[in-house]
Amino acid sequence: MRRTLSGVAVAAIVLGLAVAGWAAESTLEKINRTGVFTIGTRTASPPFGYINKQNELVGFSIDLAELVHRSLEKKLGKAIKLEKKESTPATRIPLLSSGTVDLIAGTMTDTRPRRDSVDFSMTFFVTGAQFLVKEGSPIRGIQDLAGKRVGAQQGSTNERAIRERVPQAQLVVFPDQAAGFTALVQGRVDTYTNDGIQLWGLKFKAPNPNEWKVVGDFYTYEPYGMAMRKNDSDFRAVVNNALMEAIEDGEYFKIYDKWFGPKTDTPYPLSDSAKSFLLMQVVPK
Amino acid sequence: MPLTAFLGIQYDFRWNILWTGEYGHWLLQGIWMTIRLSALSWLFASFLGILAGALRTVPFAPLRALAVFYVEFFRNVPLLVWLFFWYFGAPQMLPRVAQDWLNVHGPEFWSAVVGLSVYHGARMSEVIRAGIQSIPKTLLEASVATGLSVGQSYRLIIVPIALRLIVPPATNESLNLLKNSSLALTIGVAELTFMSRQIETYTAKAFEALTAGTLIYLVLCLGISATMAYVERQFRIPGLIARVGRAEH
Repeated sequence: MRRTLSGVAVAAIVLGLAVAGWAAESTLEKINRTGVFTIGTRTASPPFGYINKQNELVGFSIDLAELVHRSLEKKLGKAIKLEKKESTPATRIPLLSSGTVDLIAGTMTDTRPRRDSVDFSMTFFVTGAQFLVKEGSPIRGIQDLAGKRVGAQQGSTNERAIRERVPQAQLVVFPDQAAGFTALVQGRVDTYTNDGIQLWGLKFKAPNPNEWKVVGDFYTYEPYGMAMRKNDSDFRAVVNNALMEAIEDGEYFKIYDKWFGPKTDTPYPLSDSAKSFLLMQVVPK
Repeated sequence: MPLTAFLGIQYDFRWNILWTGEYGHWLLQGIWMTIRLSALSWLFASFLGILAGALRTVPFAPLRALAVFYVEFFRNVPLLVWLFFWYFGAPQMLPRVAQDWLNVHGPEFWSAVVGLSVYHGARMSEVIRAGIQSIPKTLLEASVATGLSVGQSYRLIIVPIALRLIVPPATNESLNLLKNSSLALTIGVAELTFMSRQIETYTAKAFEALTAGTLIYLVLCLGISATMAYVERQFRIPGLIARVGRAEH
């Protein structure tokens, strides 16, 4: 149901564009004027953005966006309201372009074609695509997909990779993660592919996690970034500085531990190379 | 771009993505899928609609009750829920062998066809029932008085008139069916809306892709409207329009 609503939102935006634009103002000016900072995030992609048992929208990406929120308040010198909206791979760029949201903080992979439409923050998480299968499935990786029914999420980088690299696979594309996973559970597809870390999230949220296995080597490289409207370097600097400061003073790693630490549902230790990659993105003060 | 400059939006329109390379091909595939899905569903929905609509007027209570149950059950649940049911739920009731067979024969498409047909069949049947019931009882009596049997009266007089009367609401239903077929993307059917979004995700050109989708739906719908208007004119019953304006009715 949520899905259709965002579809409607996109259509409304397209129609709205023709009748209601607003004067050119930077994102910082807009946030200062309205007093609201709106982020677009995921609602079914644990642990990056999902609805928890208390019915709250939480996650790793949302915690990072809250750091940006804090920096914004400091920069503008006043209290700003943080609003969270759902964005999916298919809706996030239109939501940004239309000004409905100011920042995408979800599971968006930074890619070169996407940089034609939006600007990205520094990379805040690194993963790669894998496969989720039922225990006992013959699928072990991308080499075993010929003739198999492979579920993927529309608009994701992995969907594109499968389409291009394994044309013999029968790709079935769903608009959201929940539908893709349900299709796997119900046996409509043989495997569901997404970024590895998200598959771990799905496995741990499943009623019976032991039934599911994440398999295969990373067959794509997925650096996650936060996306914003193009050519707005002042706002981008605020976002990047907030992330850099958090990496520098260790707050990032605390948040990382909160969502990916050994005691969580999705233990995912930060590799040494990933850690040094994060640290090297931090430019000097 | 003057329009974007005027609106103050940072956006660079590139309409040519719609007809270059694989994207144009995708759009055509999407149109073809939408037409196939809608046409097939329309045929089944019309059949179900005529059957259920007629059953609701027969003088046999159990059959009427069956038709009422069908109509009320299927038209009162959102179509999206039905699509999920037919795709995720219903196949679970089949034996494993049948499920495996279904899985390699495009379960997405057929679930969507079933979902759309059954849902729109229920709605269509009300249109048809309204058509049959709008015919005065005296017409039936008059035709029986000329020596026709009741069956012949239905076949030669009542139904032909009813079908002509329901052209405008049936046009409505057909348009709804075509537009509702876009919901099939939720269960992975690569129809027109799906393909416009696919183009959007590959090119990051949302406005172009969705505008193309919107315009194509508009053209398809106008095509249906025009066809139905033509049918309406061709099969017009002389004098029927004039009857509307006459005071004694």
